[in-house]
Amino acid sequence: MSNTNPIIDNIRKALNRLPNDTVSNKPSILKPRISGSQESELDMLIAEINKLSGFARRITIDQIESELLNLIKVEKITKTLLWDTPWLNQFNARKFLESNNIEIIPNNSSKDKLAQCELGITEADFALPETGTLVLLSSQSKPRTTSLLPRVHLVLLNPQVVVPDLHQVFASTRDNPYTVFITGPSRTSDIELITTLGVHGPKSLYVWIIC
Amino acid sequence: MTDRTPNYIHFSDYTKHIPENIPVAVQQATNRFLGNREARVAELPNWQELRQVAHEIRLHTLENLDFYLTQLERQVVQNGGVVHWAANSAEARAIVIDIATQHQVKTVVKAKSMASEEIGLNEGLSEAGIQSFETDLGEFIIQLAGVGPSHIIVPAVHLKKEEIANLFANKLGVEAPPEPVQLTAIARNILREKFLKAEMGISGANFLIAETGTLVIVTNEGNGRMCTTMPDIHVAVVGIDKVVPDWDSLTVLLKLLARSATGQKLSTYTSFISATSRGSSEGGPKEFHLILLDNGRTRILHDPLGRETLKCIRCGCCLNVCPVYKNVGGYAYGWFISGPIGAIFTPQILGTHIAQELPFASSLCGACVDVCPVKVPITEILLHLRQRVVEGNQHVKPSAPLWIRSAGKIGTLAFQIPWLYQLGTRLLPFLTAPLNKRGWIPSLPPPFNRWTRVRPFPAFSARFRKWWSK
Repeated sequence: MSNTNPIIDNIRKALNRLPNDTVSNKPSILKPRISGSQESELDMLIAEINKLSGFARRITIDQIESELLNLIKVEKITKTLLWDTPWLNQFNARKFLESNNIEIIPNNSSKDKLAQCELGITEADFALPETGTLVLLSSQSKPRTTSLLPRVHLVLLNPQVVVPDLHQVFASTRDNPYTVFITGPSRTSDIELITTLGVHGPKSLYVWIIC
Repeated sequence: MTDRTPNYIHFSDYTKHIPENIPVAVQQATNRFLGNREARVAELPNWQELRQVAHEIRLHTLENLDFYLTQLERQVVQNGGVVHWAANSAEARAIVIDIATQHQVKTVVKAKSMASEEIGLNEGLSEAGIQSFETDLGEFIIQLAGVGPSHIIVPAVHLKKEEIANLFANKLGVEAPPEPVQLTAIARNILREKFLKAEMGISGANFLIAETGTLVIVTNEGNGRMCTTMPDIHVAVVGIDKVVPDWDSLTVLLKLLARSATGQKLSTYTSFISATSRGSSEGGPKEFHLILLDNGRTRILHDPLGRETLKCIRCGCCLNVCPVYKNVGGYAYGWFISGPIGAIFTPQILGTHIAQELPFASSLCGACVDVCPVKVPITEILLHLRQRVVEGNQHVKPSAPLWIRSAGKIGTLAFQIPWLYQLGTRLLPFLTAPLNKRGWIPSLPPPFNRWTRVRPFPAFSARFRKWWSK
């Protein structure tokens, strides 16, 4: 295909290269950051997310239900999207929310229906403490929209997924069809440089690290 | 089809009539971003190493561009995407419109993309009867206002919240209080409808990863995610210079991009898109098209110095430090790209006959070179282009008259030939003796008096070698 591509031909002419020329001397990359202790990495992650106006903290499994009750009251939640993963399912959030009159919208609903939800609950596949970043992969049971359409995004985080640097994330995610990094709630400074949250993505980002 | 590409860029004319709100707003923005950037740079112990490696990666990629683009194309196709090649703006627009027409697209949502500004995509779509909505808040505002961006990252920074509220009231027919939070909420609601309705989303890309055929898109608002997730068709228009070899390279470039641009450690959202949706539950587009845009970039590649322009990762940091840009704003540069990078990119893409003033729109202070995360040698390229303008461009008169250029040539000669130089140092004190008043020459005869009209000229006195040997 590229043999008959005039743009590629022009590039080769400009660079004095032939069609079968290979690449030599790829520059070497800097080493990844070294991890601190697990607790100090978690502290850093929490501090960075909170600096970005997110709400991150450690909670215990026993606290999840009371925290959820509090969240749906404070954020006035009526409809929720929820990832369907083994790690997340162990907390039985679906059953608990439904028993508290929260409607769980099925993941294969229409776009309009999905867009009506106020809350999206996911886990994260990785987290980067230095930047306060959550890494989410996607699949049929982990829709791309759950962390995007609702006004509130809640991440239940397994502390085991924290890694020190981008290198470790990319080593695992590079062959995935879709990955998103989330670093704080959606924001803009487009009007008079005043920081405003929740432009198109979630306005509130809650991260509960389950310890 | 109309083409927004300018026929001539009147930089100096423009600078004589700058609206006074532009420099004020632009400097507020640039100072904010620079201050944040400095804090981020200070946090990282290996900033200079990162810049060096980033420079090496970008140059290496350009020097092997045919290889990486071929690999990228193969990977995108393998992932189920369609790759199109566009030699110029008109071809790129035609490809987008073609895809839209085939799918009976009526509404398009657009993420902020410099490539689409470069090819005048909104105008093209509108002429084809397709509605396109800018979805970045700043871009949405200036699209409503019908003006271009004044700054690359905050395009509507020159508009006051009261002006934006009026704009919303007049153009959208909504009650809009002059409050950023409420104005943002109004824009969110209006654009949310468009995201749900649009059949096609158009984006650019910050990087294209050759080894896996992955598109990397960075945004803060989430509009980049919306445009590439909600509509059934995703079209990305990307310059051929945006390719990077692999994910390892990306670790370096991602660490530099947001820190240099806004002083964030990372932008809020970074999407890595390799493939379309695998089923209705996952969400995401059903079809993906990648349009690779040349538009003069291969011509730049021919020139080993000019080539380094294409290392640019569009962080906008060179604009933020530039004393010229801060005083004239983005419009003066006449095309989609402004500031120091615009002053070297535009003349090389459009030709020095169209953008002949831009290489001179700089004091050569070099602040841009010091901050550039990929070490684009901007001042060197500016000088290189000035030479190109003066030598090759019939429209431009040489900046100095013939006698000065001849005197310059004689001076150069004298510095190269030792005996001529020594003769000069002995003769000049004698020749100028009648004018010498206590070590100064207060006035010189024409045409040399242009200097002495303003300040005295130091007399030719000692001979340096004699003084040095003492």
